[in-house]
Amino acid sequence: MLNLPRWQTIVIIAITVLSGLFALPNMLPTSVLDALPHWYSQNRINLGLDLRGGAHFLLEADLRSVLTERLTNLSDSVRADMRKQQVGIKDVTVEPGRAVIIVLRDETQRTKAIDAIRALDPTLAVSGSGDTIRVAYSEQELFRRKKEVIDQSIEILRRRVDETGTLEPTIVRQGDERILLQVPGIKDTTDLKRKINQTAKLTFHLVNEDVAAAGANIPTTLPPTTFLVPTREGVQELRRTNPKAWEDIQAANPRMSPEQICRRYQPQCLPVLKRVVVGGEDLDDSKATFEQQQGGRPIISFTFNSAGGRAFCAATRANIGKRLAIQLDGEIISAPVVQSAICGGSGIITGTFTTQQTQEQALLLRSGALPATLTIIQESTVGADLGADAIRAGTVAALAATVLVAILMFVAYGPVFGGFANLAMLVNLLMVFAGMSILGASLTLPGMAGLVLTVGMAVDSNVLIYERVREEKALGRSAFSSIATGYERAMSAIIDANLTTLIAAVLLFGFGSGPIRGFATTLSLGLLTSMFSSTIFTRMLLAVWVRWRRPTELVI
Amino acid sequence: MWKPVHLFAFKRKFDFLRWRKAALILSTLVNVLAILAVVFVGLNFGIDFKGGIALQVRAKQGVAQLDALRATVGGLGVGEVSLQEFGEASSVLIRIQRQEGDAQCVAGAQRVMQKRTGAGWQAKPGPAGTGDVEFTSPAALDGAGWRDAVSRVGLTVIERQLPRGTTNTAKIDMTPEQRAEWCQQVAIKLVEDAISANYEIRGTESVGPKIGDELMQSGIWAVIATMAAIVVYVWFRYEWQFGVGALIAMLHDVITTLGIFVLLQLDFSLTALAAVLTIAGYSINDTVVIFDRVRENMRRYKKLGLIELLNLSLNETLSRTLMTSGTVFVAVLVLVLFGGPVLYSFSIGMLWGVIVGTYSSIWIACAALVYLNLRPDQLRPADEEPAKAKA
Repeated sequence: MLNLPRWQTIVIIAITVLSGLFALPNMLPTSVLDALPHWYSQNRINLGLDLRGGAHFLLEADLRSVLTERLTNLSDSVRADMRKQQVGIKDVTVEPGRAVIIVLRDETQRTKAIDAIRALDPTLAVSGSGDTIRVAYSEQELFRRKKEVIDQSIEILRRRVDETGTLEPTIVRQGDERILLQVPGIKDTTDLKRKINQTAKLTFHLVNEDVAAAGANIPTTLPPTTFLVPTREGVQELRRTNPKAWEDIQAANPRMSPEQICRRYQPQCLPVLKRVVVGGEDLDDSKATFEQQQGGRPIISFTFNSAGGRAFCAATRANIGKRLAIQLDGEIISAPVVQSAICGGSGIITGTFTTQQTQEQALLLRSGALPATLTIIQESTVGADLGADAIRAGTVAALAATVLVAILMFVAYGPVFGGFANLAMLVNLLMVFAGMSILGASLTLPGMAGLVLTVGMAVDSNVLIYERVREEKALGRSAFSSIATGYERAMSAIIDANLTTLIAAVLLFGFGSGPIRGFATTLSLGLLTSMFSSTIFTRMLLAVWVRWRRPTELVI
Repeated sequence: MWKPVHLFAFKRKFDFLRWRKAALILSTLVNVLAILAVVFVGLNFGIDFKGGIALQVRAKQGVAQLDALRATVGGLGVGEVSLQEFGEASSVLIRIQRQEGDAQCVAGAQRVMQKRTGAGWQAKPGPAGTGDVEFTSPAALDGAGWRDAVSRVGLTVIERQLPRGTTNTAKIDMTPEQRAEWCQQVAIKLVEDAISANYEIRGTESVGPKIGDELMQSGIWAVIATMAAIVVYVWFRYEWQFGVGALIAMLHDVITTLGIFVLLQLDFSLTALAAVLTIAGYSINDTVVIFDRVRENMRRYKKLGLIELLNLSLNETLSRTLMTSGTVFVAVLVLVLFGGPVLYSFSIGMLWGVIVGTYSSIWIACAALVYLNLRPDQLRPADEEPAKAKA
């Protein structure tokens, strides 16, 4: 039991050293960190908002209204379609958020009606009996649509909240219909709400083909009707190849116009007519789909409202063969060639796209307007000084607890055994820090409480072992045998004791939210790593010590 | 070098179970009282569970004037308000009941509008049954102007809700539920406006009605699931009598902890729930170590009577029990003293949990084994000392 093979010793030391290395960046001052390679120094524990200060929002999207709206659109097309198919209908109603109910004049036309509905959209779930037909989205389709709305909202929030790219917001989906938005370092939420309420500017412009024909040699003076706008690829290219320029653009105050960016940094740009053909507020929907014929290429389809449809129809009719640039917040996201007049209120963009590209483009097209109302259902703001107070309190508590527990262990088990247990406690703290750095977990104030609790609880394994060693010694065993048997016999109690507490911690993680998860994280990590530090690590220390000192009697 | 201190000599023969009847009566009494307290007095739920608003404020000069502050905030028409000193004499935690989104909230929104955007602003509730709010501005506003204006009362809107063109009125359509959620923001702004001259707002928190209800539910589930999982684990590892004993001890600890929260009127928030769950885990932790020894001794001393055997096991594990409880107690005590006001109710709860958890492992869990009439022949044969085979 105490004769460790060499490889085990090496593994144990390696784990300890690695933990130290992973935990180290959390303890170094910034000046030292800056000198270290980024891949290493970035490995640090994030501070939770309650320690760092900042604003936290939980937003709920009103998916029901979105769904009702889509169903209303669907009911309109059903009505039109039935008329075309000459199916007599008594009534079409929308059950809010759920389904469209169609009541037929003549029950015998049921199959015909259902076929027509299926032709309209094969994913629809059709049910009902007699003269009523209930049309709803299938579970899958419903899920897809909900996900689409949330993804789109997240993308839009990201654009709006972090225009400048400096706020480091966390914007993630939470459950089915919620979005968590965290912005560190801000306290004034009015400004943040103003940003959420912003609208991205999506506009359609005709490309000035006369100027564009000049290719890269765009003349320095443009006709007054035309201006230059960088393309999205161009901007991304610039951002990649010239990060400094990108920073300057972001920092510029007042903001640089698209034309200024084009002139100064010369990314790929297009000359477009200033006149707006259609605005993004008239765009109802856009999605990534596949072409019906020609091998089903990935394409993007879009739908306008009636006003937008009319304007778009007139513009495309007059400009077949020319390019139509779609500008979003000062970047051209796409400039497809007008193939024919588009008058049905909806159209498609074709090109050599991958599925992923069409999805991205469709998302960008939808970025003009938030698809659903986002209601703040939980909000918290923490001032930076309040966070600093919390950090101070937590740190003092952690240090005091460590010192006091260490003294207790020294007093109870003497310099050698107490010392080893205390060393294990420090290794355990290092491992928790390392674990949190690796997991990218956030340290919150309850998390610090979990750490303090871990300090008190993690020595338990050593207490169990040492008490057992004492008993074995009292039974008259030799020093060596007492230690070996003590470790062995204490093991089952150690595992039981740690696992029961761990069950509580893990379930707390599952059910809890926000800062509480921080508590569950540090406590579970601490208990798990203590199983290594208090048993395996101290056993190695004791094995080395026993071989070195060859004690005839244990002082424990 | 110094010698280790042996707090409890190994061969102590302490008759713990002699007091099992007294402990039974005491614990039953305390638990009944705790249950009655929870049912009839009720936990002092924090805003996590009840919904509502909490603001941490600090006087810009001198100490906080609680009475004046209570009068100011209480007069804002935001419902029930409670104040408490928070950590230091200049800091106050203001708690306000959750807002229900009635006409009074819309009137509050109008006051905020007037204060922050200028006189002449109006906010009126829409038709009954809807949550609509109609804003009127003294001068005509375009889309951007409206977006800016509603942001000031904490409202997030989408394009569809705003008027087109330049208008004097904007009718923002909302459901009653959405308006109720928004009204939490209105109340925060109202309080900010009313006290910001003398107080600095250090942090705010609002929990809308929906989240409050959900957290309450998931909290109850968390407690049930945790207890169930732990009992299943103990049942899986030990004979059923141990499982029952551990469960009773754990319930005892959890119930009395809830009782302490009622007695001291501590804020029962999510962190307090974390304390309750941790106590459930810790209670078993302590119990299981004793049970482990009981089982080991049952195999070793087959002839020994149950009470003597339990007493022996308790004595053998006593110094571990006290040492571990001691280290955890010290850590928690440090949290009470230095952890700051936010962790206060968590720490007090944990402190109680450590004490009662130690007591219940001895006098509840082990006494339960006596009443459940555990006998050595009931041990599972499959568990016969696996350690011995290795040694």
